[in-house]
Amino acid sequence: MFDLKTLDKYKPIDNKMYQVMDDEGKVILKNWQQPMSDEDLVDAFKDLLFERTTDQMAVSYQRQGRMFTYPPNLGQEAIHIAAGKVIKNEDWFVPAFRELGAWLAKGVSLREIFLYFKGNEDGSRFEQANRMLPVSVPIASQLVHAAGIGFAMNYLKEEAASFAFVGDGGTSEGDFHEALNFAAVWNAPVVFVVQNNQFAISVPLKMQTRSINLAVKGVAYDVPSVVVDGNDFFAMYEVMAFAREFVLKEKRPFLIEARTYRRGAHTTSDDPTRYRTSEEEEMWAAKDPAKRLRNYLVEKKLWNPESEEELVKSFKKKIDSEFEAAEQHPEYRVDDVFDYMYEKLPDELARQKNMLKNYLSTVGGDK
Amino acid sequence: MRYIFKFPDIGEGLEEGKIVEWYVEKGQTISSGDPLVKMETDKVVTDIPSPKSGVIAQRFGGLGDIVKVGNALVEIEIEGVSGAEAVAEAATTPALASNQQVEEKGFGVVGTIEVAGDGAYLPASGEGMQAAAQPVQEQKRSKVLATPVARAMAKELGVDINQVTGSGPAGRVTRKDIEGYGRKKDYAAPVSTSPQPPATARIEIKPLSMIRRTIAKNMIRSKQNAAHMSVMDEVEVSALVEARKSLNQKLEATQDKLSFLPFVIKAVAQALKSHPSLNSEIDLEGDRMIYKHYYNIGIAVDTDDGLVAPVIRDADRKSLLQISRELKSISEKARDRKLTPDDFKDGTFSITSYGSIGGYFAVPVINYPQAAILGIGKIVEKPVVKDKQVVVGNVMPISMSVDHRIVDGGEVARFLNEVLDYLNNPLYLMLQMGGSQ
Repeated sequence: MFDLKTLDKYKPIDNKMYQVMDDEGKVILKNWQQPMSDEDLVDAFKDLLFERTTDQMAVSYQRQGRMFTYPPNLGQEAIHIAAGKVIKNEDWFVPAFRELGAWLAKGVSLREIFLYFKGNEDGSRFEQANRMLPVSVPIASQLVHAAGIGFAMNYLKEEAASFAFVGDGGTSEGDFHEALNFAAVWNAPVVFVVQNNQFAISVPLKMQTRSINLAVKGVAYDVPSVVVDGNDFFAMYEVMAFAREFVLKEKRPFLIEARTYRRGAHTTSDDPTRYRTSEEEEMWAAKDPAKRLRNYLVEKKLWNPESEEELVKSFKKKIDSEFEAAEQHPEYRVDDVFDYMYEKLPDELARQKNMLKNYLSTVGGDK
Repeated sequence: MRYIFKFPDIGEGLEEGKIVEWYVEKGQTISSGDPLVKMETDKVVTDIPSPKSGVIAQRFGGLGDIVKVGNALVEIEIEGVSGAEAVAEAATTPALASNQQVEEKGFGVVGTIEVAGDGAYLPASGEGMQAAAQPVQEQKRSKVLATPVARAMAKELGVDINQVTGSGPAGRVTRKDIEGYGRKKDYAAPVSTSPQPPATARIEIKPLSMIRRTIAKNMIRSKQNAAHMSVMDEVEVSALVEARKSLNQKLEATQDKLSFLPFVIKAVAQALKSHPSLNSEIDLEGDRMIYKHYYNIGIAVDTDDGLVAPVIRDADRKSLLQISRELKSISEKARDRKLTPDDFKDGTFSITSYGSIGGYFAVPVINYPQAAILGIGKIVEKPVVKDKQVVVGNVMPISMSVDHRIVDGGEVARFLNEVLDYLNNPLYLMLQMGGSQ
């Protein structure tokens, strides 16, 4: 179990990565105990498969022209499922955009996710997800929000943590550093999760930073930090659970660098073959999080891999019907873009609104 | 009832795509999600899955055809849906394809990347750090900065925005620049009204093809980064001419016919094994050399569109006959424009047989970041001295360029001597072929 002693053993400056399983799913720690019941563990694996299936379907919908740009999650799911198991209803979830499984765990519906990626603002409403922020498109800007939320939790004397996600590229943004600094200075209970998937779109990590890793960036701000194998479900789960407890008890932020690999494209508009080699992709495929957890479960006789096909089939049915529901959702109205900021629409905005409506009427009508 | 599936905008603001491969035939039954066709766009080469289950009633377009976004790709006879229902579906489902395409341009800016160049032609080797770094640098150069209104104007007026010098921030092309551009140029006042130049025009302006642009960029990159040095020599190849003749007699009854190129490829692959620096790459930023223990020989192929260099993989481990067949297949694919990015990947050394068209010596340009390129000129009959007698020999001219950052003259000469020995005496090549040194 990951505890304060473990934290001390995995100092970012030593560049050690916390791992429970090897690439084949064999536990490599001595005297290690499974951190959740067999039943919960099987559920977690099902969640992982559900995320992966949804993700594949989403890419397919996009390719069919039924959805706009979409960022695939393939290869990073262990982080999301672990976060989903740890983040409580009263906690705040401040997303980047590539955390599908964690969104679902928080209560975001598939329909909303599809709507969002179909460009419909209603997809950010998250009706069933408590304390879930919408996607903030400017990279790393969400971290500042998360730090502020942590501050607010202290101010309101609430026992709730703020979980913020960002990618490796986001750590080069000023907002990342401001957020860490602010959260540390104000004792804000924020868990910063950096999904280090090795590429900021096409920029490799070695062109991103001279630091030996990303967790080490927390040290300067006196934010306890650790590097974790993000493809190792157990390692991720233990560190996430530890981090939540830690930030609430110690009233300090915590930084997790989850080391992983985006096996798909950055988004559906990206072609990764232009900037990475198949050798590298194969190396990371061998560390795939689903494979490792599956091997562990099979070894413990908790999972029959032959049952997977049927399960995935039933997932697909469900996902398809949710997608079709999203397609039936009414279009977002132009009026809604303009009408609520001011009591009376200023002339300039009125002109723009008119212009947009005229334009839309030439290409298929105002919605 | 029939459902028409239109080519959707699968990127952000795409206008068209090229059909690379069909996965379905007319009459084939498909399920929704099954791949229909592989399309190449400015951004990606990708499979397009079907949004519907049913039977393919019709396919639109052949291999290599350009399909505009919003135009039909396939017509599907939908299962279990009849009459008005299907019409309604057809009207609603691909709504994103055409109508909303314009709106989409402002959408979803997370990680929009613009990669104007086409990696499919003469690409960098996929190896190592340098390759990973390059797309980033290229991105900066590949697209002119311009305001949207300037782009729209340029398009309307038929002005090539890449030719316009921008006066805005960071050299951004503005509306004024486009307006000014027409006035500054003394030729054919702004181009817009007649796409064909009048008969009296002294020049004609045509947009660069994707392949021409890629060749230009790659050549500049090679010349700017590699320290080119060239060496030329001649080799007497009468024994090789005889060997080839006799092998071709053996092959007479078959489809196969050997050219000289497979011999040259084998000779080069063999010689590379004893001269590893010629099969390497330099990574100055990383302060390191990258030596490759595989021998993938890029072959320059002349096509109507321009030069491409597909790769013969693991040439050291293949027979002359295998190589000959592969050469045939890649040149056919090149001419039919059916090469895929995989055909270009991971070359370690290149050969150009410019002599098959004409030319004796040449100074070839290195296929960067490879270390060297070897050119073979036209074999001619020439007087040569043999046993102190002047006799008629068959002489093959060889021209080679190397990157002097990586390798020095002495090593190049030693490498070339080995290649020439093999070509002069094919039996000697047989002695060594396939061995590790």
